Amino acid sequence: MSLCRRREWGGYMKLSSYVIKRLLYSIFVLVGLSIVIFVIARVVPGDPARLALGPRAPQFAVDALREEMHLDKSLPVQYFYWIKGVVTGNFGKSLVTKRNVMEDIAEFLPATLELVLMSALFVVVFSILFGALAARYKDSWVDSLIRVMAYTGVAVPSFVLAVIFLLLFGYIWPVIPVLGRLSAGIQPPPTITGLITVDSLLTGRMDVFFDAINHLILPALALAVGPLFQEARIVRSAMTENMGKDYLAAAVGFGIPDHVITGKYLLKPSLIPAVSVMGLDIASLMSNAFLVEVIFDWPGISRYGMEAMLRKDLNAISAVIIVFGLIFVVVNIIVDLIVAYLDPRIRLGGRSS
Amino acid sequence: MKLLRKDYTDFWSLKTIRENREGRVNMGRLVKQKKLASVLIMLLFTAVILAGCGGGEQEGSSSGREKIIRISEANVPNIDPGVGSDYASSIALANIYDTLVFPDHNGDVKPWVATEWEISSDGLTWTFKLRKGVKFHNGDELTADDVVFSMKRMLTMGEGFAYLFTEVVDDVKALDDYTVQFKLKKPFGPFLQTLVRLYILNKDQVVANLADGPYGEMGDYGKAWLINNDAGSGPYMVKELKKQEYLYAVKFEDYWGGWDKDAPEAFKIIGTTSPSTIRTLMTRRELEITDQWQTKEALEALDKIEGVDINAAFTGTILNIMLNTKKAPTDDVHFRRALTYLFDYDTAVNNLFPGCKKTVGPISESLPGCSKDLKPFDQNLQKAKEELAKSKYAGSLDKYPVELAWIAEVPDEEKIALMLQSNAQELGIKVDVVKVPWLSFVDQIAKPESTPNASLVFVSPHYGEAGSILETRYHSKSTGTWEQCEWLQNKEIDALIEDALGTIDFEERLAKYDVIQKKIVDLAPTIWAFDQAEKRAYQADYIVWPAAERIKKGEPVTPVMGYMYYFHDFKVYPDKVPH
Repeated sequence: MSLCRRREWGGYMKLSSYVIKRLLYSIFVLVGLSIVIFVIARVVPGDPARLALGPRAPQFAVDALREEMHLDKSLPVQYFYWIKGVVTGNFGKSLVTKRNVMEDIAEFLPATLELVLMSALFVVVFSILFGALAARYKDSWVDSLIRVMAYTGVAVPSFVLAVIFLLLFGYIWPVIPVLGRLSAGIQPPPTITGLITVDSLLTGRMDVFFDAINHLILPALALAVGPLFQEARIVRSAMTENMGKDYLAAAVGFGIPDHVITGKYLLKPSLIPAVSVMGLDIASLMSNAFLVEVIFDWPGISRYGMEAMLRKDLNAISAVIIVFGLIFVVVNIIVDLIVAYLDPRIRLGGRSS
Repeated sequence: MKLLRKDYTDFWSLKTIRENREGRVNMGRLVKQKKLASVLIMLLFTAVILAGCGGGEQEGSSSGREKIIRISEANVPNIDPGVGSDYASSIALANIYDTLVFPDHNGDVKPWVATEWEISSDGLTWTFKLRKGVKFHNGDELTADDVVFSMKRMLTMGEGFAYLFTEVVDDVKALDDYTVQFKLKKPFGPFLQTLVRLYILNKDQVVANLADGPYGEMGDYGKAWLINNDAGSGPYMVKELKKQEYLYAVKFEDYWGGWDKDAPEAFKIIGTTSPSTIRTLMTRRELEITDQWQTKEALEALDKIEGVDINAAFTGTILNIMLNTKKAPTDDVHFRRALTYLFDYDTAVNNLFPGCKKTVGPISESLPGCSKDLKPFDQNLQKAKEELAKSKYAGSLDKYPVELAWIAEVPDEEKIALMLQSNAQELGIKVDVVKVPWLSFVDQIAKPESTPNASLVFVSPHYGEAGSILETRYHSKSTGTWEQCEWLQNKEIDALIEDALGTIDFEERLAKYDVIQKKIVDLAPTIWAFDQAEKRAYQADYIVWPAAERIKKGEPVTPVMGYMYYFHDFKVYPDKVPH
């Protein structure tokens, strides 16, 4: 027993040093990303100051803006100014919204986060459910039905689903609101986290909570369907593969009931590949949400970033990409931790046999 | 062994064997609890979704009761009068702020905050008498100081509509509380027309909200505060501005112009043009007027909704095929004329852009100052052949292909580009159609060498008179911008335009515009493809939109961007909303 404890302790030590190592790598990744996006945004054709002010704006105004944005300096000097600002949390001013990019991000990031978290909930719950069902009733009609749904779900892009949902539930059978985060006339709760659902629960405003949930369902579902079925397929194939493993035969031999076998001995290890993909998929929902946000008039950061790129809003582009980069890094670390929890070989630092 | 393993693989089939095992009894409770938990989670999900549906229905039935006009636009407006200048901003500013003069539907301006004005004989000094008792939204009275402040703010910042004034206005001062005087750098005939863009800010309120900035004692000139707040005296006051979502403004009870009992009590500018969203909102009567970016197909679908009509207004916008006069083969006037003769104008307005009109030259017929003598263009292959024969490229057409650029963000332009390509082919002219993203395009046209032979660009007037288009399209100073890809650089035309703009008398000025238009048509720097109709769907059953009513009667409407949407004059009848 004590040997086991010590081993487990050592495993955790190993895990934390692993996490620290990952964090250090992440800093390099982010710095690299910042340089790449900084340069790419600036080599794209067009003078941002002139674009922002229009073709007939007097030259003095254009020059003043160029100077304010340090566009009159060389690229390395510009980067220095920019990174100096970023370290102090100042990403500069947006050319489109005319205010500090941090303000924009503080407003738009929670909207997308809320949307993605809701999607993530759908993805996690339904991918495991469908995957397990398909594996459990392998080769039966249930499996075939889920397979057909999966192929359709993976093939149809989220914005097409968004349009279909909108027309179904907003137009033909108008039961769900289709625009924005809250209905007109509903006073939003005071901003605590920026997530309206969470804020309304914290302030005890149930009417706002349900209204916000209502507004979330369609866009979140449209985003979730693709990754959901992809992960369901992964869960299914991992489960069917693990079914053939000797340890399961042993478990059956010991007479452990099938629910326990399915839930503990089969599902848990089978989730490892799905969780890794799920993490990346959920993180990429952040940036893929663009069209869904446009269709549901969702004031999110994905749409903001895309608009910024179309209008060469330099500071906004860089800030959004850095935020996305940061989210990917964080999600990756979380995924590693979950996988470590699911897979004792990683957690305990043991060797794969 | 192999056989045995296979049997185990399908371990669920061993259920019957397992059922006799004792383990089942011990584990039973745990399994049941887990089952219960998952059932509960599923129930919660269903409940949340059902609750959601219920709420939605409530919202659907309560919509339409408020007297409100909701309009969709490509973006949420910039409501700072010194910054905003796009379409959405122009609508917002016209409703939130007052101006000295107001554009009327006949193309002229009428007294507004200014009741009368005098112009010195040299055309350099303009003196305006102000209306007394005009109240700002915070209750302050509007005085000459506010006008002076607003003009100086614009000139100093140089953003938004400032370009209309920076080259014209020398100084502005208040002679007394109700008299304001502008000194101009040079005589400028359409000065009154441009004054519809001088939105009057409440000086005291802005000064009380200054932040740090580059403008000396004026700090940031109130820019940060004016992003979300207004300091105006117009019929509506800003209630809420959500970037990326909407601007919501409500009626200002003390508006000096008074109120009709059926006038809208609020307006909302929604920043989306996604066709499926727009269609859904129109069906649910949650949108009264759509944006002008709906495709032909989307408009047809909208037109089928009960009570929804389409309004088509001409506001001076022309689709230009700009020909680079500094690059072979379009540097040859005969070659350019041949192109203007071979373009199929009828197909463009009848099939490709139904509802649009043929043009007579550089100026839209909806704009005051459009020449009355010029005739609409027609395709004439015979004349095209004659002109082509005179051109120096006649014998070597295959060596001089025409590069024709259309803007990637405006997919409809491709139809026109492809049509010109096939028209040109009939005479043996090779046209290479290229799709160019806007940002690259703006970069390309900065130099004559990199400007394509032909570029498709929509251009709108900056103020409601022919002079605006003539100056931005054909004066040498606008070369290198997307408003002039012709590189005309014709000294005679420049001088004529300057002379016309410097003419104070209206009729005399118009006569001068007429001469310039004929000269430009003769130079054939552009194929004026068509006069664009701005089409929007609207709820004709329960709102009265004055501009649309005028169009139905065949009367002109103001070409000044934004002023067709002066909501104060609209009417809304919530009880007429169709069910």
